[in-house]
Amino acid sequence: MEQLDALTGPLAKETSPGWLRQTRQAGLARFRQLGIPTVKDEEWKYTNLAPLTAYRYAPAARSALSPAQRKDILDRCVSKGDLNIVFVNGALDKELSSFGKIAGGVEILPLRDAVENDPAPLQEIWARYDPQKDSAFVALNKALTQEGIYIHIKDKTIADQVIHVVHVTQAAGEQIAAFPHTFIRLDRSSEATVLETHAGLNDESIYFADPVTDILIGENATLHYSKAQKESLKAFHMGTTRVWQKRDSTFDGFSLAAGGAIARNNLDIVLDGEGASAILNGLYSVYQEQLVDNHTSVDHRVPNATSNQLYKGVLNDAARAVFNGKIFVRPAAQKTNSYQLNKNLLLGKDCRVDTKPQLEIFADDVKCTHGATIGQLDEDELFYLQARCISRKDAVRLLTQGFVDDLIGKIPGESIRRRISRLLAPTIEALG
Amino acid sequence: MRKPNETKLLNEKTIEENVLTSRDYKYGFYTDIATDRIPKGLSEETIHLICDKKKEPDWMREWRLKAYRHWKTMAEPHWPNFKYGPIDYQGVSYYSAPKKVKAAGAGPKSMTEVDPELVKAFEKLGIPLSEQKRLSGVAVDAVFDSVSVGTTHQAELAKHGVIFCSMTEAIRHHGDLVKKYMGSVVPYSDNFFAALNAAVFSDGSFCYIPKGVMCPLELSTYFRINAAESGQFERTLIVAEEGSYVSYLEGCTAPMRDENQLHAAVVELIALDDAQIKYSTVQNWYSGDKEGRGGIYNFVTKRGKCLGRRSKISWTQVEAGAAITWKYPSCILQGDESVGEFYSVALTNHRMQADTGTKMIHIGKKTRSTVVSKGISTDESNNNYRGLIKILPSADGARNFSQCDSMLVGNKCSANTFPYIEVRNSTAVMEHEASTSKISAEQVFYLKSRGLDMEEAVSLIINGFCKEVFKELPMEFAVEAVRLLEMKLGGSVG
Repeated sequence: MEQLDALTGPLAKETSPGWLRQTRQAGLARFRQLGIPTVKDEEWKYTNLAPLTAYRYAPAARSALSPAQRKDILDRCVSKGDLNIVFVNGALDKELSSFGKIAGGVEILPLRDAVENDPAPLQEIWARYDPQKDSAFVALNKALTQEGIYIHIKDKTIADQVIHVVHVTQAAGEQIAAFPHTFIRLDRSSEATVLETHAGLNDESIYFADPVTDILIGENATLHYSKAQKESLKAFHMGTTRVWQKRDSTFDGFSLAAGGAIARNNLDIVLDGEGASAILNGLYSVYQEQLVDNHTSVDHRVPNATSNQLYKGVLNDAARAVFNGKIFVRPAAQKTNSYQLNKNLLLGKDCRVDTKPQLEIFADDVKCTHGATIGQLDEDELFYLQARCISRKDAVRLLTQGFVDDLIGKIPGESIRRRISRLLAPTIEALG
Repeated sequence: MRKPNETKLLNEKTIEENVLTSRDYKYGFYTDIATDRIPKGLSEETIHLICDKKKEPDWMREWRLKAYRHWKTMAEPHWPNFKYGPIDYQGVSYYSAPKKVKAAGAGPKSMTEVDPELVKAFEKLGIPLSEQKRLSGVAVDAVFDSVSVGTTHQAELAKHGVIFCSMTEAIRHHGDLVKKYMGSVVPYSDNFFAALNAAVFSDGSFCYIPKGVMCPLELSTYFRINAAESGQFERTLIVAEEGSYVSYLEGCTAPMRDENQLHAAVVELIALDDAQIKYSTVQNWYSGDKEGRGGIYNFVTKRGKCLGRRSKISWTQVEAGAAITWKYPSCILQGDESVGEFYSVALTNHRMQADTGTKMIHIGKKTRSTVVSKGISTDESNNNYRGLIKILPSADGARNFSQCDSMLVGNKCSANTFPYIEVRNSTAVMEHEASTSKISAEQVFYLKSRGLDMEEAVSLIINGFCKEVFKELPMEFAVEAVRLLEMKLGGSVG
């Protein structure tokens, strides 16, 4: 763990409020107890983190960005009409962000301010999880998080604007590590659309991102949440999103994983109120020697909740994909409906897929199904297109586009859909 | 048919009734018979003792000792999704045989020499051994505790060149064949229980089907545990030479006891070019009482190797007994275009626990595999499907289809699926689907409105649910399996 010494060292000198310091220390203790997971850990059976531990990580130096760099970030990552919250190398950049014009009922605060003003809502969200069950990377994030954002949608508020949280990393030289924490809290009968983007500006830079997002969706509230992750080709991304849903709430989620040496996305949903429904859609598209690992977990704790998952993957070259979807149905959770499907398209010669859909059911009056497929493009379809003067290369692209389009179509919000299509474009372009 | 007003809702029947029903476990009797058993405990001494009793050649003794030494270095595995109490490996007698069986593989030449008590015991189990009564189409090797007491139809099979005998006999008379194949599919170092088995196995069946022979009879082995404080450790080896075909069945039962007895068997199948092996199991070990006391720990390693091109191995299992079932009949698809199949019905009631499934390892080109698994859990039982589909880089054009469905009856049971899918070849195509649900109220209503009572309706629906698997079983076994399921469900539903 000496790889993280430069980061954990200053923790002792911390001056944050008491409970936060305690959380940090507890997180650090938990991380020290767990260590960086190895393939002997069932949760990491197919993802070997040895490459991650090959580097030493340092906190990001706060260097001023040049005007050209600013323009680059604005052009590539930010849309004008959205509420943008921009983190550069793990630090909130207030100039690039646009909190100014926030409508009533929406509260967006940097994490530091939120902790100082009124920590109760944050504590309430964290108190829902048993810290002794935190995974290694959630514990590490808790220990080291410095920057983050708190988004609060108040009662009966419908936020029209897309809230776009952007994490841009453009490290040069040193390997930096970032531990941003995002809190999203929706009160009763509110609705919001949030996009979380993790992007690397330079495909050569090596860094380690360990973001955690905690979401609490109140009664009858709806959250449209997309996470788009396209890190540099040499970066490590160990992200976790935890969602807690109350009665009749809706989580409409989408995740794109399109880059990183090793990118792990954990999405844990707890359905803790009757009538809650969760949609988990995901797309992963990787090439070269990238590895993308999606772990989802849906915990049905109460009756009459539904969950629906569709994850699709396109693999090229020697890329690898890991998928593990868990569905737990607790004894009380009668009348649960839960679906899960994982489809993989293998286009490269040496790609590899390890998928493990998993059902653990302790109630009898339920309908649960899961499925997984792995295959290639249909030769007949390729032939059909080629017979109509479309080159094989274009035919492959067209059919792959078709494979991913039905998922893209389900992304909440037009601007998000466009943005995600744009992130995906280079990987589709590289096919054939 | 019962009158409609007598019908009961699901789970309404009291547990007492459930236990008292005579249908619950009719094989729970104990045969009081003089036995020749070695003292409890496990050491190198024990292994020498077993070898001496069986007058085994030195190579066998060496192999057992190697296995034992390896076993001592291994830790008891506890990764499956169930708990089992500590097993006292020193508290078990590793060899227990009815006295009147001629020891050392001399085996009775004709079934008339078998102890009439034993014949009676097997008759009670529905396995007639005597010349007049035995089933005409099936050759039976009857294994009682640690030894095989007799094998029927041997002469008839010999005419076709088929060798079907107890393992003890095989080691003595067909040593070269046994030496060549034993341990080639499940090496003694494979896992904890396979190592234990390799060290102390006492008997089992051996089948050898020569080149181009369609085995004229169904071959079968019936395993019976009788003695207390013992375990059963048998080893089955089936070798199908080029272009041959064999269908093999196994059945098993044990007396009702409060202790947990360990059954750690190993089954190895080898299919050469164009050969086909069909292996069917109807497992009905004693499963413990409603509180989960007693019952057999069924920790078995079963694996088949499709060594030759276009060979085929098909596993069919009906798992209806044992306190804990822990087994994954697997296929190593090594030969090009070889085929592996797995059809399973696992029914758990009371507090039974099952962690079962299959492994399909695709190595050869254009290898194909099919997995159909049906799990039914009732009462407070726990039923798990755990499977692995592994497609290695060499397996161009490999194809797999898996389907695992679970049905839950009652709200205290659980059903879990853990399918592992590892694909390392981009020309592979695989599909997996799984579902979990309860018996449809509409279907029950439909049947009840046509005069069937609750129990009959549920039984019929479950039969339909399992039909895909039952149709793979040989006819007599399919009938037996349906009856077994009805018997097991009798207490839980209706």
